[in-house]
Amino acid sequence: MNVVTIAVRNVTRNKFRTTLTVIGVAVAIVAFVMLRTVVAASSIAVDFAAKDRVASRHKVSFVMSLPRHYIDTLRNIRGVRAATWANWIGAKDPRDPDNFFATLAVDPESFLVVYDEVSVSAAEREAFIHDRQGALIGDVLARKLGVKVGDRITLQGTIYPGDFTYHVSGIYRATRKSFDRSTFLVHWDYMNESLPEARRDQIGWMVARIDDPRHAADITRLIDRTFENEDAQTLSMSERAMNLSFMAMFSAVLGALDVVSIILLGILLMILGNTVAMGVRERTNEYGVLRAMGFLPRHVVFFIVSESIVTGALAGVLGLGISYPFVQLGIGRWLEENMGGMFPYFRIDPVSAVAAFGFALVLGAIAAVLPAWRASRLTVTDALRRQD
Amino acid sequence: MIPLSYNFRSLAVRKATTGATAGGVALVVFVFSSAQMLAQGVERTLGKSGSDDIAIVLSRGADAELSSNVDQASIGLVKAAREVRQRSGGTPDAVAEIVGVLALDKVGTTGISNVQVRGVEESVYQFRPTVHVSEGRAARPGADEAVVGASIRGRFVGLEVGQSFEIRKNRRVHVVGVFEDGGSSFESEVWTDLDLVRSAFGRQALVSSVRVRLRSPADFDAFKRSIEENRQLGLQAIAEPKYYADQSEGTATFVRGLGFIIAFFFSIGAMIGAMITMYAAVANRSREIGTLRALGFSKLNILVSFLLEAIALALIGGAVGAGASLLMGFVRFSVINFASWSEIVFTFVPTVVIVGKSVVFAGVMGLLGGFFPAIRAARVPILAALRG
Repeated sequence: MNVVTIAVRNVTRNKFRTTLTVIGVAVAIVAFVMLRTVVAASSIAVDFAAKDRVASRHKVSFVMSLPRHYIDTLRNIRGVRAATWANWIGAKDPRDPDNFFATLAVDPESFLVVYDEVSVSAAEREAFIHDRQGALIGDVLARKLGVKVGDRITLQGTIYPGDFTYHVSGIYRATRKSFDRSTFLVHWDYMNESLPEARRDQIGWMVARIDDPRHAADITRLIDRTFENEDAQTLSMSERAMNLSFMAMFSAVLGALDVVSIILLGILLMILGNTVAMGVRERTNEYGVLRAMGFLPRHVVFFIVSESIVTGALAGVLGLGISYPFVQLGIGRWLEENMGGMFPYFRIDPVSAVAAFGFALVLGAIAAVLPAWRASRLTVTDALRRQD
Repeated sequence: MIPLSYNFRSLAVRKATTGATAGGVALVVFVFSSAQMLAQGVERTLGKSGSDDIAIVLSRGADAELSSNVDQASIGLVKAAREVRQRSGGTPDAVAEIVGVLALDKVGTTGISNVQVRGVEESVYQFRPTVHVSEGRAARPGADEAVVGASIRGRFVGLEVGQSFEIRKNRRVHVVGVFEDGGSSFESEVWTDLDLVRSAFGRQALVSSVRVRLRSPADFDAFKRSIEENRQLGLQAIAEPKYYADQSEGTATFVRGLGFIIAFFFSIGAMIGAMITMYAAVANRSREIGTLRALGFSKLNILVSFLLEAIALALIGGAVGAGASLLMGFVRFSVINFASWSEIVFTFVPTVVIVGKSVVFAGVMGLLGGFFPAIRAARVPILAALRG
């Protein structure tokens, strides 16, 4: 039996307390992993943004639109390979008005070229392009709305006046994690005609696919310069920058989650530290005996610290063991279906998992520092005499 | 009953353990209380913006001012309704307003963010007597001037008295004053001339909403009927408090839900911490418990005594946590308002109820954490305990 074995065996001395501690710390780790997953998931749109796409919108505000003919100008700009446009419709399902999902009016053919991660069978693609009332729906949203190809669905307009009936022409899947699988795509032409004359022929924003991602910054500048002296000026950004600015709106919430994660680690430290302190107090006499047998203070420190680290590690394993099924199969799927706009992909980030396990070990060591230091400083006689 | 001083002294003897356990509870209560305070702030800010004798008229189907379009011809009809109160000069007490969103650079970060801009009529201060200009002066109509709400002044580039921002190319609007409205969401807006916003946003003959002051809140139903019966107008009337309650619902639920989930997970950790501590206390003090029993204290006395000790332990933590959360009252927190996609600044609002709830929450954690250890204490056999 060597020193390491003794240290590890100490973990099983008070099985009941160790079990409680491991459970307590494991719960903290589950919560930590979930918080970090929220933070990581909200940056998915930035991390997985297409590098060869740039978006242009009205310079002043996203609620203001651009004239339809801008798209023709955009297509002629050097470096632009393909371009499409979209309008936000904001239509709702009258059966369930609280169910929020993105509804976009698009130019089907060019949209599917620019957003090639929207994957749909050739037959459904043709059906969508050729049916003016056609709709292309994300697989997650289709399941939630309970519709399949061939069905009819009526949505209630908010920005566009009236009720609109669509034919479900196809259901798409996304081959890129950043694309929302809960979007409802319909024909721009069909929606445009529903508007009063004065509001027609306006487009919400434009997206261009460029030849070379390295020229993205130059091309966005060129686009904005092209429209500089027109009626409406544009603000163009790479897709990544656009998603980043969207995320910046939530910066306060994400900042708060960072603070909460740190508080959580504090709670974890308290639970571990308490357990270690108790164990040390109860075993002070033993440390006296060990010292009398010739073990050095550093051995005592080693026993205490390694016991705490092993407890942390056990909790880490249990915590991750609970987190994975809980997030991947339970809450992650729910969020993707119900809040796909914010969390198109809600899965544990391996970095968070490793960090959680690492924190369990490191905090285990930190929790043991003070009790271990105290125990190592006791003289043999004091330790033997000590009665709790 | 066993004197409480016995419990307090027992807690005082084991400072490290008591500190760690109470510290864990304090962190949980801090998070719990802060989240409630923020949700309260959201509700207060948005709730304050409504008054029961005001009705807001939007286009049918629109759930917020931003997505609503009311045409010029309808404004007069709405204002002329019989239920609308008259001002002393005989004009109806009503205002037509247009709401837009401006993208402005945020001070201190690299991102841009959205700010709500409201085009107002000159009589707006008459219509909203709670609003007053606290610095500088009111904006003159037709002079490209604006006043900014007290909550967002200085948070965005250009939104400070003496500075200016661009509402469209080569059209700068000068900030001439700051207005306050008792912490309502208007304080997160920029107010400028109605016609300026209409022309800048290309909505010459449109407004977002018409607000009317009714003769009495009881007249709302009649007013609503008269507006909505005329289906050609395509308008709807909502009582202002209900409108803002619906607006705040999403954000407040989000904050409260997030806070609740976090506090729930955290409290499990803290309860296990309390449980570990109390089990150890019972184990270490079995001789004392035996003595107490031998002195004639009943099993119930012991049970109650240990439960009270656990509750006292948690209450210490609860008091510290709730006290610390009061400091959050100095923090300003900007959250995205899901209804307008613009930022609203909220504060953490402490109330007696929240502090009370937090302390009770701590007590419950102590009660639950101490329950099983207290049962074990009550079951300690007298003779065995005395023999050691």
